[in-house]
Amino acid sequence: MSSLFGTMSVALQSLLAQQGAMGVVANNIANSNTPGYSRQVPILEESPPALIGNTLVGTGVTLKSVESVRDNVLNLRIQQETSQQSGLNSYVDSMNQVQALFNETQNTGLQSDLSNFFNSFQSLATNPTSSALREATITAGQDLAGSFSQTSQNLATIQQGLDQSVVQTVQQINQLSAQVANLNGQIQTVANTRQNPGSLQDQRDAVLQQLSGLVDTAVVYADDGTVSVTTTNGTLLVAGNQSEALSTQVDPSTGMHQIVSQGSDVTSSIAGGQLQGLLKARDQSIPAAQSSLDQLAAGLVSAVNQQQNAGYTMAGGKGGNFFTPFTPTASGSDAGAAATMSVAITDPSQIAASSDGNAGDNGNATALANLQNQAIVAGQTPSACYSNLIDQVGNNVYNATSEQEAVGLVLQQLTNQQGAVSGVSLDEEAANLIQYQRAYEAAARVISVVDELTSTTIDMYNPG
Amino acid sequence: MGIRVNPDIYSTILSGLQVNTQREDQALQQVSSGQKLNSISDDPVAAATLVNLKTESSSDAQYLQNISSLTGPMQVADSALSSVVEALTSAQSLGVEGGNGTVNTEERQAIAQQVQALQQEVMGLANTAYNGQYVFAGTATTTQPYAADATAASGVAYSGNDQINSVEISPGEAMPINLPGSQLFSNSTNGVFQSLQDLYTALNTSGNIEGATTEVQNALNYVTTQQTFYGNSLDRLNNAQTFLNQEQTQLSETEGNTLDVDMATAVTNLSQTLTTQQALLAAGGKISQLNLFDYLPTS
Repeated sequence: MSSLFGTMSVALQSLLAQQGAMGVVANNIANSNTPGYSRQVPILEESPPALIGNTLVGTGVTLKSVESVRDNVLNLRIQQETSQQSGLNSYVDSMNQVQALFNETQNTGLQSDLSNFFNSFQSLATNPTSSALREATITAGQDLAGSFSQTSQNLATIQQGLDQSVVQTVQQINQLSAQVANLNGQIQTVANTRQNPGSLQDQRDAVLQQLSGLVDTAVVYADDGTVSVTTTNGTLLVAGNQSEALSTQVDPSTGMHQIVSQGSDVTSSIAGGQLQGLLKARDQSIPAAQSSLDQLAAGLVSAVNQQQNAGYTMAGGKGGNFFTPFTPTASGSDAGAAATMSVAITDPSQIAASSDGNAGDNGNATALANLQNQAIVAGQTPSACYSNLIDQVGNNVYNATSEQEAVGLVLQQLTNQQGAVSGVSLDEEAANLIQYQRAYEAAARVISVVDELTSTTIDMYNPG
Repeated sequence: MGIRVNPDIYSTILSGLQVNTQREDQALQQVSSGQKLNSISDDPVAAATLVNLKTESSSDAQYLQNISSLTGPMQVADSALSSVVEALTSAQSLGVEGGNGTVNTEERQAIAQQVQALQQEVMGLANTAYNGQYVFAGTATTTQPYAADATAASGVAYSGNDQINSVEISPGEAMPINLPGSQLFSNSTNGVFQSLQDLYTALNTSGNIEGATTEVQNALNYVTTQQTFYGNSLDRLNNAQTFLNQEQTQLSETEGNTLDVDMATAVTNLSQTLTTQQALLAAGGKISQLNLFDYLPTS
């Protein structure tokens, strides 16, 4: 049998434990709208029983700890999908700028300039000595060359803008990595004192979530409560309370920034996050569009010049170059052909419309117009080559947008699941509050009963 | 204990609203622009097709323009040749008249003067220009093709060439657009000027008038045959124009099918998104604002 004072102390412990539990409920309710907050549960535990006589008697309850309810695996999945989604978002944003340059559905793009250029030769064929038509041909050539170089320069401008964003994103990644490392250190300290580092973990989860939006992350939870973070391809970002900053340096061959970690170029190993979307647009899609454009420009310049050289000018001389000939910087490369495209002749009489030296002959004008239907660019007609470019750029955005929707759905589901695990339910908290309140009231009642019993006992020795 | 659900129901409603707003935006864009394609990523294959369609239709427009700019000079050339035929017919009658034994020398010489005037007229016709371009000069369109030349047997010198220009009037169809004077008037066997000159000389000198008249008759027949080139060409231009107009109609129809939205569908889509939005908002409003705390005794 336990003593009255023993019972009193059990009841007292209960009061403290229920009070603690109600504190946890209060904290949950207070944070029910805090983003990233994981609900906490009080962990109540029986006190070790005491052996009284031959009987083991319970000695009450203790509030052992307060734990945050979180599913780290789920969090990792969310981080992965977030990486994917932000990668797609930044890619689609970047490529939307690119596709606007080729928006044939709104009549912006090169199609009309290409057609007008060849049509102007067709017109010239009907009256090869007309200086108005010759003038119009030069204008159409200038418009075409202008559109090519403008489009090429716009592509380059978009690419440079993305390069700036890459540098900024790397700086943000470094800041977040440093925050994770810092929180790792704090969590380790708190965990060493056997306290609940829940709120610090919540903060760290929020930072990790942000980080995974910028770059693909692989997070490993260690027993000491810290996390180590690398990219999925193994580039170190955070180990314990140390972070490893990424740096950027200009690649002289492309003029774009490389991403460097511990002395080596890791640019191509970035597999997710905003950074990956920017890099994919900057290093793959835009250069591909640029090179298609260059190829088309180089093909046009060389075919038109060749045909023009085969003909005769108004004065009967051999035709010179129509476009300024393109000189490749490296053999076999068309790089820069679009940007530098320009019309070489200013005198309309220099157009070689004639194929036999007679000013009124139109043979070469027709031949120039017919280049439109000849495979002068990489085995294709200029128009087919250009429509391939449209298809290519359109598909870049189209595919990323479809993927974006799919990832968005997955992410929403995962976030919902996370809410189911970690979100604060006011109904649940209300029920718990009642439960703890009643237990508190009951324990208080026990104390008052023991008090009565004690006074009865005392009164037994006081006959009055 | 049942499965714990996400207590934050509004997040689901919110993402539903976001998705719906996106659709609404797209539907609205389609209705306002009348196009189902507003950027090339809406349907890259259709956008690529659109480029080909537009190129084709722009070529057709150019062919139509070629046709209309060719019709003028060809009509002018055609009517000039008609006048040449008339002049030759008159010359032939004069030849017959001059060959009559009842006509005396003086009268014959007067007839010869008329033939010379006809020769002048034909030379003027052979120098016909359209918009500053000589139509019978071969490809030397800026040079006046015929001038009187007393040293030449035919009485005129030809300074054009014997080249022919061809112009495309529909995809892959090149049509010759001129006949050079060398072929029309200065032909070695049926030369127009030569025959007129011969008739003039014969009348003037009482030579072989009958032979010269036959010569004029032959030249007349020859020019009449040659003239059919222009008639046929004008027919060809007409046919090509009809064909191109039809093709353009077809192309713009295809372009419309590729690019333009079906308004009924677009408006239905738009009103569907509006309905969905209302439903979502209503659902959001009906979500219980209550929780267990509302039912607990306050004291």
